[in-house]
Amino acid sequence: MTTPVWRRVALSVVMLALALVIGVPLYYVLVNSFKTQAEMVTSPLALPHQWTFDNWGDALGDTAIYQAFGNTLYVTVLGVLLQLFVGAMAAYAMLITHSRLARFAAAALLLGFMIPGQSTLIPLYRTLVGLSLVDDLNGLVLMYLGGSIFCFFLIQGYMRTIPYEVIEAARVDGAGTFQVFWRIVLPLIRPILVTVGVFQTMWVWNDFLLPTVFLSSPQKQTIVLQVYNAVSEFTTDWPAFMTITVIALIPMVVFFVFTQRHIVSGLLAGSVKG
Amino acid sequence: MTSSLAGRRVATAPATRRRSVEGGWKQITINRAFLLPAVVVFVFLFVIPLAQGFYWSLTDFTGYSDEAEFVGLANYAEILRDPSMLSGLSFTVVFAVGSTLVTTLLAIPLAVQLNKAFAGRNFVRSLWFFPAVPSMAILGLVWGYILSPLPSGVLNTLLNDWFGIEAISWLSDNTLAQGSVIMVSVWAQVGWHAVLYVAYLQSIPSEYYEVAKIDGASARQQFFGITLPLLTPAIVISTFLLLTAGLKVYELPFTLTGGGPGFTTYTITQSIVTAGVGQGRYGLASALAVLFTVAVAVIGFTQLKVASAIGKRFS
Repeated sequence: MTTPVWRRVALSVVMLALALVIGVPLYYVLVNSFKTQAEMVTSPLALPHQWTFDNWGDALGDTAIYQAFGNTLYVTVLGVLLQLFVGAMAAYAMLITHSRLARFAAAALLLGFMIPGQSTLIPLYRTLVGLSLVDDLNGLVLMYLGGSIFCFFLIQGYMRTIPYEVIEAARVDGAGTFQVFWRIVLPLIRPILVTVGVFQTMWVWNDFLLPTVFLSSPQKQTIVLQVYNAVSEFTTDWPAFMTITVIALIPMVVFFVFTQRHIVSGLLAGSVKG
Repeated sequence: MTSSLAGRRVATAPATRRRSVEGGWKQITINRAFLLPAVVVFVFLFVIPLAQGFYWSLTDFTGYSDEAEFVGLANYAEILRDPSMLSGLSFTVVFAVGSTLVTTLLAIPLAVQLNKAFAGRNFVRSLWFFPAVPSMAILGLVWGYILSPLPSGVLNTLLNDWFGIEAISWLSDNTLAQGSVIMVSVWAQVGWHAVLYVAYLQSIPSEYYEVAKIDGASARQQFFGITLPLLTPAIVISTFLLLTAGLKVYELPFTLTGGGPGFTTYTITQSIVTAGVGQGRYGLASALAVLFTVAVAVIGFTQLKVASAIGKRFS
């Protein structure tokens, strides 16, 4: 392929310019977190004349934001680990049993996979109220267990690539069923666990629907709820809102930089199964 | 789909090997115990709530009293009379179809460009892709400030400074508000759908294009004769994801417009949450949830059928 040099340069310039336009909203939030209210109104996209760090000082001085991060981290880590564990166990069961019952169970799980969260929201809300698990981070973690079905499908597909002889050899050496799972199978399927884990982390960390329905007290809020509530709190103080938003986005940027490859492969794997 | 895969595995596993793995009844019980947590999750988070919801949709259950009268299809009729629910239904469909169409029409040409060699390609891809990563709720809030009708709304400020255009009410005009929600969702999704298409583009052998060039095919002819037909499986997958995600939309319109002006950007999910959790009208909310489930299932299965039909043609 011999593309003229000028065409490659032109493509480069056009694509970079377009991508920067796509990035403008993110730049807008970042740059205004260093401005005063007055300056933001007069020059919304320029670099600050006078860099002010008051917004950052105020935002970081508020303990609520740390609490919200802690809550989100708790729900995400626990929720995703449990999903992966339940999903991997079920996939392992499918690998070592060949009964009709197991196949029926897998077909039923596939149906569950198609059911959107909204369909079960109201009955589950009632049930959690009945169990006094509403406004409780552990209740929220329970709700996210629904994601194990998705994990099951992706992990099951990957598990078929494990050479069966490995499992048999471990058996012959006297390893129990759980030992084989824990010591042999889980380490072997690490790549898919990372991919699915990254994917599910994005879902749980970013979710708005379930926290807004199941959490009510201010000290239980997740970070997304915190940002949402900041809007009504800072109706006129836009830079304050921008600062909170940047703080909420920083972990996502860091996460993106370190896991970009897995995010892409997870989205692709998820799309193939979807 | 699952049964055929399971069948294939049984066929490749010789009987002797199976026996050595399954062992006695005790071993079989242990093996099946591994399926138990998933089954418990499935029963308690899917089967029981679905059955409950379907039952409630036929009653006037409100949650304030344990008395629930059987009312037949009255809740379903009520949905058709409730203006907020009707606009929720119609905007959800408009959004799902609109965002799917616009995203697909932009993502394919974008993918073709992103697949070419140029300086800074990885950076450009990352920048396009990144909006898919943060929460849509937060992105909706950010865009709320950008599109704000106040003089400080940055888009209106720019349009005024550069082109002298008077302030446009992006979020308070009915049509513009709907368009704005769709536009923001396209902004957030188009990059990662383009990356999905790039993955498929890379599997097209370059010989096809070389032969086409020798035969004198123009770039346009190559695109419509080679690229587009070979992208069909990707189009099926991408539009399936966009449509189902579109039907489930909630966070973006909720944080960007709050469902307004009036109910023009109200969604099915917002109706379910408001009627069910907010007002305790469980019967009504459940009826809407049942309709929603059926709609998603019908679209899901239709797409699966189409996908497998296309898969057969292209394999």
